Amino acid sequence: MTLRIERLIARHVWVTTFANRAVAGLLIGMGFLLLYAAITGWVTFRQQNETGRKYQQRARQDWLSNPDKHPHRMAHYGHFAFRPKAPLSVFDFGMESFLGNTIYLEAHKQNSTNFSEAGFSTGLLRFGEISMAMVLQLLVPLLLFFVGFGTVATDRETGTLKLLLSQGVSWWQLLVGKSLGLMAVMLTLFLPAMVITALLSLGLQTDGISLDQTIRLVLLLGVYFLYLSFFCVIAVLVSARSQTAKTALVSLIGLWLMLTLVLPRASQALGSYLYPAPSKTTFLADIQADVLREGDSHNPGDPHYRGFRDSVLTAYGVDSVGQLPVNYSGLVMAEGEKISARLYNTHFNRLLAIYEQQNRFTKAVSFINPYLAIRNLSMALAGSDFATYVDFQRQAEQYRYGMAQTMNDLQIRLISNAKPVPGSKPFRIDHTHWEEMPDFSYQSPHLANVLGHEVVSLLAFVCWLVLLLVLIWRLSNTLTVV
Amino acid sequence: MSRLAFTHFIRAGSTRIGLALLLAIGIISLLVGRQFAQRQQQAVADVVQVQRTDFPRQAAVHHDDLGLLLYYLKFAVVNQMPPLTALAIGQRDVNPSVQSVTIRALEGQKYDADLTNPANLLLGNVDLSFVLIYLVPLLIIAFTYALISDEKETGTWALVAVQSRYLLGFVGRLFLIRLLVLLALLLVLGVLAVGLLAIPLDGASGLFLGTAVGYTLFWFSICFWVVSLQRRSSTNAMLLLGIWLLLLVVLPAGINTFLIARYPVPEAQATTLAQRKGYHEKWDMDKTATLTKFYSHYPQFRQIPVAATTTDWRWYYAMQQLGDDESAGLAGKLKQKLQQREQASLAVARFIPSLHTQLQLGELAHSGLGNQLRFLDYVTRFHEARRLYFYPKIFTNAPVSAEQWAAIEVDTFVDSTPVNPTAVLAPLLLYSALFLGLGWFQLRRTLYQL
Repeated sequence: MTLRIERLIARHVWVTTFANRAVAGLLIGMGFLLLYAAITGWVTFRQQNETGRKYQQRARQDWLSNPDKHPHRMAHYGHFAFRPKAPLSVFDFGMESFLGNTIYLEAHKQNSTNFSEAGFSTGLLRFGEISMAMVLQLLVPLLLFFVGFGTVATDRETGTLKLLLSQGVSWWQLLVGKSLGLMAVMLTLFLPAMVITALLSLGLQTDGISLDQTIRLVLLLGVYFLYLSFFCVIAVLVSARSQTAKTALVSLIGLWLMLTLVLPRASQALGSYLYPAPSKTTFLADIQADVLREGDSHNPGDPHYRGFRDSVLTAYGVDSVGQLPVNYSGLVMAEGEKISARLYNTHFNRLLAIYEQQNRFTKAVSFINPYLAIRNLSMALAGSDFATYVDFQRQAEQYRYGMAQTMNDLQIRLISNAKPVPGSKPFRIDHTHWEEMPDFSYQSPHLANVLGHEVVSLLAFVCWLVLLLVLIWRLSNTLTVV
Repeated sequence: MSRLAFTHFIRAGSTRIGLALLLAIGIISLLVGRQFAQRQQQAVADVVQVQRTDFPRQAAVHHDDLGLLLYYLKFAVVNQMPPLTALAIGQRDVNPSVQSVTIRALEGQKYDADLTNPANLLLGNVDLSFVLIYLVPLLIIAFTYALISDEKETGTWALVAVQSRYLLGFVGRLFLIRLLVLLALLLVLGVLAVGLLAIPLDGASGLFLGTAVGYTLFWFSICFWVVSLQRRSSTNAMLLLGIWLLLLVVLPAGINTFLIARYPVPEAQATTLAQRKGYHEKWDMDKTATLTKFYSHYPQFRQIPVAATTTDWRWYYAMQQLGDDESAGLAGKLKQKLQQREQASLAVARFIPSLHTQLQLGELAHSGLGNQLRFLDYVTRFHEARRLYFYPKIFTNAPVSAEQWAAIEVDTFVDSTPVNPTAVLAPLLLYSALFLGLGWFQLRRTLYQL
């Protein structure tokens, strides 16, 4: 039978772990925490998505219930985009609480994404949130350290280590066996958590189970298993290198604090320190300045719009605006919308590039910190990361632009080009046209796009895997008994 | 004896590394705070500059139509940031410190979010409050967790016990030495903060320091109690780290998640939708009915005669006004829910010193939800005042040139809510006393059991 000795050693770790009442208590406590996280995750998911769906429908009804009117009034009436939560966000809240979830979409203007949970929160939010992902990323590794700090060091202190090794057990077998034992302990928390996640996320998919979501789930399962296994191996290795169990414990606690508390904040602080982003006022003022530079549609003498008018007149073969067969101010607005949307997108992309720079350090640190690697990867797979959010904002902006231009188009084609006479009936078109604009419905991005943003984190994972195997192999050859 | 114990403590390599590390991170946190303050000042300077150039420009473009001009003009209000905010940034990085509003319906503008990088928000700031709340306890734990157990494990405790005339006093002195060293370090950081961030020495900064001292005392008393249980060093370490985790990660996060689920705010979305409908549907309704509703809100404008203008601005702003009026119920409910969240957090925090410290430091630094809600109230009052000032001018079609547009400065909200020092300090001192008492009682009973 293969791996017989390794399995014996692993079994010993398992038995001693559960013989310790304190550790067993901790494991049970952690289990309850996972359950709490699952329940609150499910409740908030339901609440938020129900709210979003309800108001999305109401906003649509409001839109459709408008009577006959001028299409430009409808462009100002506008619509709303409510951001739905992804099914797996029930597992990993990620950035959810810091992301806005409502955008008012109207002509001429890109509004901010409002109503993030953080904006409505007390300072408590800054301590973090309890999600199943947070428990697995942050707390379970510490638990594994608590369980594993003595695996080899205690044997060394009591002299069992000498006995073991003199009986022909190799260091490799010992390290692998101890690691496997810890991994077995880890699985008692990990497997139930993932089963709950699978049930919840599959249950929360309202319109059939999608392949994309299933692959995400499987990938999450895989990376979390790897991540937690790393910590089992790290605990055993540190324990093997330490003279006493106490030293091993203190080193492991120090390591945990470094990985989860100090490095993440420090690397992000460094990023935002070095790459300042513009204030909102400057951001908006810059866009306005650029728009005015291209052409001011309110100014009759503006060179851009004079040129525009001449090209329209040439195209229709007429001498004056009054002779045009289409509504001229509709054409001007369509032109203005095109320019302002293009400039807004340019500035928005520039802003995103700055954010990308700010996040660069945190991403790079993934190579020395598996906690950051899993954090980024998990958010991305769960659909609660920044890239998914930006995707939502882009789709909303695209819809807004389409809506504004559809209304402009209706105005161009159907509204009289004559100047309205005061006192006469205002120009309006039939309300059935409002149905021509489809409702906003968000399409979540494909997995390939998501993984494209997280190549660094994936690479970091591969590096960690190789590094730990090399370490076990090297230490097997260099470790001493005393 | 004390001098010897002090030398022994301060000469240890781990002590020096710990203190140096904390001092270094403390200084970094002050720099982070300073940069945050500078960026906020820059944001204020930006908006002052933009308003100064934008108002005259717009006034020139719309020189013959006051109603149209005020359709565009955005009046900025700044939520003043006291120097203390640099020490406890709190929610100030989430909530905009500058809010710009036109005199049109307010509800659609009031909650406009700031531009932020959510990755920064998620990982949090390395400000002094972070150093104090998260790192100082860790250092206290590192300094004290093995105070008796280490001697027991190395076999020197019997010697100490025999040689000491008053063993309880001896243990107390060991703790006192560490407490004084840490307080000295906090004082150094405080002095540096005052110098670096131009913090005035007033009641608020005094109370800030007091809270920091109270929180430090609390953690020393927790450590004292755990040490008094006289377990093994590794058990102490696990127990203390477990308490740290409970107070700084599990309880706050669990309570916050609960509060969010307990007080959900769908009213936010409902309000904006109601406001949009309330305004827009008036375009298709009877003008007189709209104006009648408007006059019942503002009877004083009924007397103003109708001016001959191409656009009926009175009707237009009446429609906008009704957007706010008809969503007022929902907006009130939203405000009430947020206040409930704030109240509930403060109430729970009284029983959990880490939360209490975080929330009170935020309150002192004007960076909590309370400050944000007061700021929004102020923005509402400010908006109302602009309306009342400009409505009669628009309705009579007053000339644009009659107003000094370049002289309209950005408005500032100064939060002057008093903070009750007893309510801030009492919970911290109470819990310190409790655990100190428990530890002392325990030690007196068991100290001589070798």
